[in-house]
Amino acid sequence: MRTYLVRRLLLVGPVLLGVSVVVFMVLHLSPGDPAEIMLGPQATKEDLERLRTELGLTEPLPVQYARWLGHVVQGDLGRSLWMKRPVLGEVLGRFQATLILTGTALLLSTVGGIALGVASATRPNSLLDRLSAVASLFGASMPVFWLGIVLMVIFALWLGWLPASGMYSPYGGGDLRDLLAHLALPAITLAAASVTIVARLTRSTMLETLGQDYIRTARAKGVVERLVVLRHGLRNALIPIVTVVGVQAGYLLGGAVLTETVFAWPGVGTLMVQGILARDFPLVQGCVLVVALCFVLVNLAVDALYAWFDPRIRLE
Amino acid sequence: MWIAASFVLLARGSVGPTAAQPAGTLVVGAVAEPVNLDAAQVTDFNSTRVIRRITEALVAFPDDSTQLVPGLAESWTVGRDGLAYTFKLRKGVRFHDGTPFNAEAVKFSFERQIDPNHPFNKLGKYPFASFNFGTIKSVEAVDEHTVQFVMKEPRASFLTIMAGAAANIVSPTAVKKWGADYPNHPVGTGPFRFVSWDRGQRIVLEKNPDYWKGPVKVERVIVRPIVEDQARLTELLTGNLDLAVNLPPDFIAQLENHPKVTVLRGQGAHVWYLGINNQKKPFDDKRVRQAMNYAVNKEAIVRDVLKGTGLASAGPVLPGTWGAEPGLKPYPYDPDRARKLLAEAGHAAGFSTTLWVPESGSGMQSPVAMATVIQSNLKAVGINVALQTMEWGAFLAKLRTKEQELFALSWAAGNEDPDLVVYPLLHSSQWTPGGPYRALYKNARLDDLLQQARLVTDQGKRAELYRQAQRILVDDPPWIFIDHEIQVGAVSKRVQGFTLHPSFDLRVETISLK
Repeated sequence: MRTYLVRRLLLVGPVLLGVSVVVFMVLHLSPGDPAEIMLGPQATKEDLERLRTELGLTEPLPVQYARWLGHVVQGDLGRSLWMKRPVLGEVLGRFQATLILTGTALLLSTVGGIALGVASATRPNSLLDRLSAVASLFGASMPVFWLGIVLMVIFALWLGWLPASGMYSPYGGGDLRDLLAHLALPAITLAAASVTIVARLTRSTMLETLGQDYIRTARAKGVVERLVVLRHGLRNALIPIVTVVGVQAGYLLGGAVLTETVFAWPGVGTLMVQGILARDFPLVQGCVLVVALCFVLVNLAVDALYAWFDPRIRLE
Repeated sequence: MWIAASFVLLARGSVGPTAAQPAGTLVVGAVAEPVNLDAAQVTDFNSTRVIRRITEALVAFPDDSTQLVPGLAESWTVGRDGLAYTFKLRKGVRFHDGTPFNAEAVKFSFERQIDPNHPFNKLGKYPFASFNFGTIKSVEAVDEHTVQFVMKEPRASFLTIMAGAAANIVSPTAVKKWGADYPNHPVGTGPFRFVSWDRGQRIVLEKNPDYWKGPVKVERVIVRPIVEDQARLTELLTGNLDLAVNLPPDFIAQLENHPKVTVLRGQGAHVWYLGINNQKKPFDDKRVRQAMNYAVNKEAIVRDVLKGTGLASAGPVLPGTWGAEPGLKPYPYDPDRARKLLAEAGHAAGFSTTLWVPESGSGMQSPVAMATVIQSNLKAVGINVALQTMEWGAFLAKLRTKEQELFALSWAAGNEDPDLVVYPLLHSSQWTPGGPYRALYKNARLDDLLQQARLVTDQGKRAELYRQAQRILVDDPPWIFIDHEIQVGAVSKRVQGFTLHPSFDLRVETISLK
C-alpha cells in the first residue's frame, strides 16, 4: 500500500508537467495575444510590436516555455501581465474561496446523493424514486449558468431570502452567517448535477447489493432493516460511489469556473476567466497548475479511500 | 429545495433586501474587475472608471460634455504654431500622501511613460504611450507651477489627449516607494483616495477631505466586480448596489417601472460600424457600398435589437459635437434604391460575401444580434452574407490579415475631438496592419482634409475641414454607418445628482446620498 502511494505521488510531477505543456500550447497557439487584447482595436503595429517585445512574446515558444518552467520549479509562477502582482500569491489568495465553494458542493452532493440513492433503492418504483429519477434527468441536463440564474431570480430577486452575488456583504459583514448566506446559491447550483449522478449510481449499486445472498442471510438472522441497509448494504456499495464522488470532485473544480462567474464568487474560476479573456498567460498557467495539482491530490485521496473501505484492495 | 431552505434558516437575519446601508457609502457594480489602478498602464473603462476618482489630469471634461476645461492646470497657452503648450498649475494642491503637486510631478508622470531611460520606465508597460504622447519631444518644469510641453510636430487634439486618463498626474513619491507595485497603491490628487482592494470582491475608496474643489458628499465608495448581468441587476434591485451600468438592452423595460431604481441614459462618444474592405471586389465600387447603406435598416436595429440604446448614425462623428456636420442625415432605409444601385453596378443578381463578427467586445453592444439583422437586410437586396462569429482576441488578430470582406467593429474615443476618431479610422496612413484602419479605403482629398485639420489649432477652422471630410465620407461610404451607443445605467432611489458621462467615465463624485 505504501509503495503504491509513493509511486502515485511520484507521478504527480510528470502529470503536472504534461498539464503545463498542454495549457501553454493551447494558450499560445490560440489566435489573439495579450498585446492584441490589451491594446484593442486602436492598436498600431508599432505599439503591438513594442508591447510584444516587452512581454517577451517575440521569442520562440520553446524558449518562452523553458524560461517559465525554470521559474516555476523555483516556486515562482511569474507576474500577472496586467494585474502587476505575483501570480502565486494571487492564485492562492483566491483558492480559499474556491475550496469553500467546491468543498460545500461536494459535501452536499455526496450526502444528498447517497441519502436520495439509498432511499430510492429501498423503495424502488415508489413516488420518491420516480421523483428522484425525474429530478436526476433535470439536474444532469441543466447548464450551470442557467440553473444559477434561475435560483438567483427566485431566491434573491423574488423572495429576497438570499444575496445574489459575492462572498460577503459589501458593507463589511464577514462573519460565518454572512458567508453561509452568500454560499447557499452557488453551492447548490454547483452541486445540482453531481447530486443526481451520485444518487442514480447509489441507487443502482444499492439495488444490486441488496439483492445479494448475504443480505438475505442478514435479514434471516433478524438484523434490523436499518442496519441491513446501512451496514451490510451501503458499506459494500461504497466502492463505486467513492469512485464517482472522486470524479465529481474534479468536475466540481471545473464547474466552479462557471458558477463563480455567475455569482461573482471571488475564487480561482473568476480569476481564470479574467485571465483567459485578457490572454494573461502567466496568470492562466498558474491557475491551471494549482487546480491540476488539487485534482491529482483528490484522485490520490480517493485511491487511498478504496483501501480503507475494502481490505481486499489493501492486501493486493 | 430543502437544502436551500436550511441555508435560509441558518442565514436568516443577516441578509435580504433590508440589509443596512451605511449612510454615506455608495456601492457601485462594475462589469469586470479593474486590472490595475495605474491609468498609464490600463486600456479598459472598468479600470479607468476607478482610477479617475483617485488621480486627475491637467485638462478636464466638465460633468456633462467632453469639451475641455481646466483640471489640475489653471490655464494654458499654445505657442509656436502648436509646437509648445505651457500649463500654469493650480497652487496649493497636495497628493493624498501629503506631498505637493507641482511641475516636477507633472514632468515625472509623463517622462516615466515616454522616456526609455527614465528610472521608472522599465517598471511598467505603457501600452498607449506612443499613441497618446508620441508627439511630445520634451517636458520642461519652467518653475514650481509652470510646465512646458515641446512637441515634435503639431497635433491639434493634444489638449484632448491631455484630458485622458493616461495623462493623469501621479505622486512621484508613491511611484518611487512602490516601484513595480505602484499600480496596486495609486496616489493622486482626486476627490477620493485609495483605501483597499479585496481581490475579486471590492475596491474601497474614501473621500479626500482636502480635495481642491472642496470635499465631495459621499464618504466612501465600494466598487464590486459583477460580471453576470442578471446578478448585477438583482443586486441593484435588492439594495446591494446603488449604481450599475452597462445594463443589457433587454433589461431596460423591466427597470423602467421599478419603484426602487431610476434608469439613466446618456449619449456616449462612440461609433459602431460595419466595415467594408474597399480593396476587394465588388466593394471597390462606390455604388455597391452606397447600396449596402440603403439596404440596412439601422432604425430597426436601434429600436428592436438595442431597445433604444443607440442613435442611428449618419457618419463617423457624433452628432451635436463641434466637429459634426449638422446637415448630415443617416442613409434612409430604401431597399429598392439599393437594388437599383446594385443593378447599375452590374450586380442585379446579387453576390455572396462573409461578415466577421466578434461574440462580444469593448463597445460592441449586441454584435451578433445586430449582425444578424444586417445579414437579413442585405439578403433582401440579393447580397448573401455568411456570418462568422469569433472570440474578441481572435477577431482582432484576424483583422490584421486584411482578408476581411465585411466586419463589425466599434470605436469608443470617449471624447468629441474628431481627430481621435476619423484620423485613425479613415486616414490612409493608418491602414492595417500598421494602424487601426481596416476598411482600407483611400481618398487623397479626404486624407488631405484630415491631415490639415490635425495641424491647425483653431477649432472653427478644424470644424470646417471635418465637415467637408464627412460630406465626402457619406457620399462615398467606406463603411455601413450603424449607430452611436446610448449608455444605460440605473441607480437606487437614494442616489441624487448623477448623470452618465459621454466619455464613459463614472463620475460618482457628483453624487449625494439621500
